[in-house]
Amino acid sequence: MTLLREGSRSGHRIPGGTAKDSSPGDLCLVVMDTPNAPHSEAPATVTETPADVNQRLVALLQQIAEGDRTAFAEFYQLTSRRVYGMARRVLIDTELSEDTTQEVFLQVWQNAAKFDPAAGSPLAWLMTISHRRAVDKVRSAQSATDREARYGASTQDIDHDSVSDEVGSRLEAEAVVRCLGTLTETQQESVRLAYYGGLTYREVAERLNAAVPTIKSRIRDGLIRLKTCLGVS
Amino acid sequence: MTEMNNGRGGRSGAFGDTVSADLASGRAVDLAELYALDAVTDEERRTIEQYISTAPAAERDSFYERVRQSRETLTRTFTAEEEPPAGLFDRITAQLPAQDAGRDTGAPAPSAGSATFEGAGEVSDDELARARQRREERRRPAGARRWLAGIAAAAAIALGGVGVGSYIADQNDPLNQVVRAGDLREASVDVAGGGTATVQISSSEDAAVVRMKDVPAPPEGKVYQMWLIPKDGSAPVSQGLMDAEALSKPAVVEGISSAAALGITVEPVGGSESPTLPTVAAAPLDA
Repeated sequence: MTLLREGSRSGHRIPGGTAKDSSPGDLCLVVMDTPNAPHSEAPATVTETPADVNQRLVALLQQIAEGDRTAFAEFYQLTSRRVYGMARRVLIDTELSEDTTQEVFLQVWQNAAKFDPAAGSPLAWLMTISHRRAVDKVRSAQSATDREARYGASTQDIDHDSVSDEVGSRLEAEAVVRCLGTLTETQQESVRLAYYGGLTYREVAERLNAAVPTIKSRIRDGLIRLKTCLGVS
Repeated sequence: MTEMNNGRGGRSGAFGDTVSADLASGRAVDLAELYALDAVTDEERRTIEQYISTAPAAERDSFYERVRQSRETLTRTFTAEEEPPAGLFDRITAQLPAQDAGRDTGAPAPSAGSATFEGAGEVSDDELARARQRREERRRPAGARRWLAGIAAAAAIALGGVGVGSYIADQNDPLNQVVRAGDLREASVDVAGGGTATVQISSSEDAAVVRMKDVPAPPEGKVYQMWLIPKDGSAPVSQGLMDAEALSKPAVVEGISSAAALGITVEPVGGSESPTLPTVAAAPLDA
């Protein structure tokens, strides 16, 4: 496979003081969101070739909607690492993460017919369900004190990525790293606290000792910047 | 402090302090990212949804367009992966309704019906029974699970100031037996209020040794109390109290085999019958 560079690589400025001031061309395989845990022995997963896999997932969901359990098994095989990985980052606890994953896939089984390809990619649909579940759980189970700890957790593991040898996946990871670099540190932090910390904007504001309107803006602006940089349309 | 209103961080229009204020000032669409990120409370979510459902079509469309884009963005950005436990898929399929019953209702899955799995052969009765039993086990101890959720939050095992009066050992018996055990596991962790704690766990000795370093004394009129949280979901069992002085000594906690975790709370001097949540620190013992 040819290693195709994305054309827009140099088209994004990196604000001073963030993103380690590395040149955009540096292959910095550090993604803020990957777990410490299992590394590259990963089987084929949804990050490998996004377009193909998304197409495959759409087809599988249609079959699942008709009660096809084989399709369900394949869907699980392709996506469960993502669902469980996210749950682990939000919930940390393995049992709760397992419960969440179980609930998510039961929901997939029940609601596959409701998936509308026009309304978004199947993976985004799945991860939306998953994040919501994980956040519901973490909020019902945890006190304010515990959230303090979660803050620690979500900031600690900004770590090595389990980037596989797959070129498509590596390019994607690179793009994400590069695009995260276009956010200010405070934007990154706010978005990350909300996503992996499961915090509301108000909790993020309290945590960072910032004004509520400021945090709302950071989250909005950060996500919009990311979206633009990644070329999400 | 949450009501400070001096931050004009947004370049494209400042937010207010509350979701209601934002809706009232015509910024519903600007809430799309927060909404997509689940960074609002359930109540705020409902408020937003209610507003959007009756909003002009153009506003509604652009809100949902930004929500969609945000979700795609998040899905591409936060890509943590981890292999779920083996057997999880079997437990899931064991819960699927027999046929199409219960489908598309949005209701929780009915409990396990027949659970053959096409393409993967028959699931044996034994496996089914085990899956069912495991689910039931996992459901029962709501209390313990709640504790564990807190522990989960303490990610790196934040052990608070612990030391247990009745077990304070000098350098003799139980302590040495534990630290000499062949199966000793050790974890050093940061303590939330400062300092570090080291936990040495020996399954063969059925005990753990906890040592504190630079952990602050409990507040005036308070003590630390340590608890074992049983695996079976029964009430946490006090392991003793701990004052400022006791913090400097290693503590031995015995009988850990039936415990899922160890938790520390701050209690009034004299201790409490049951823990006052939240824990200041907690650690899983079996992980």
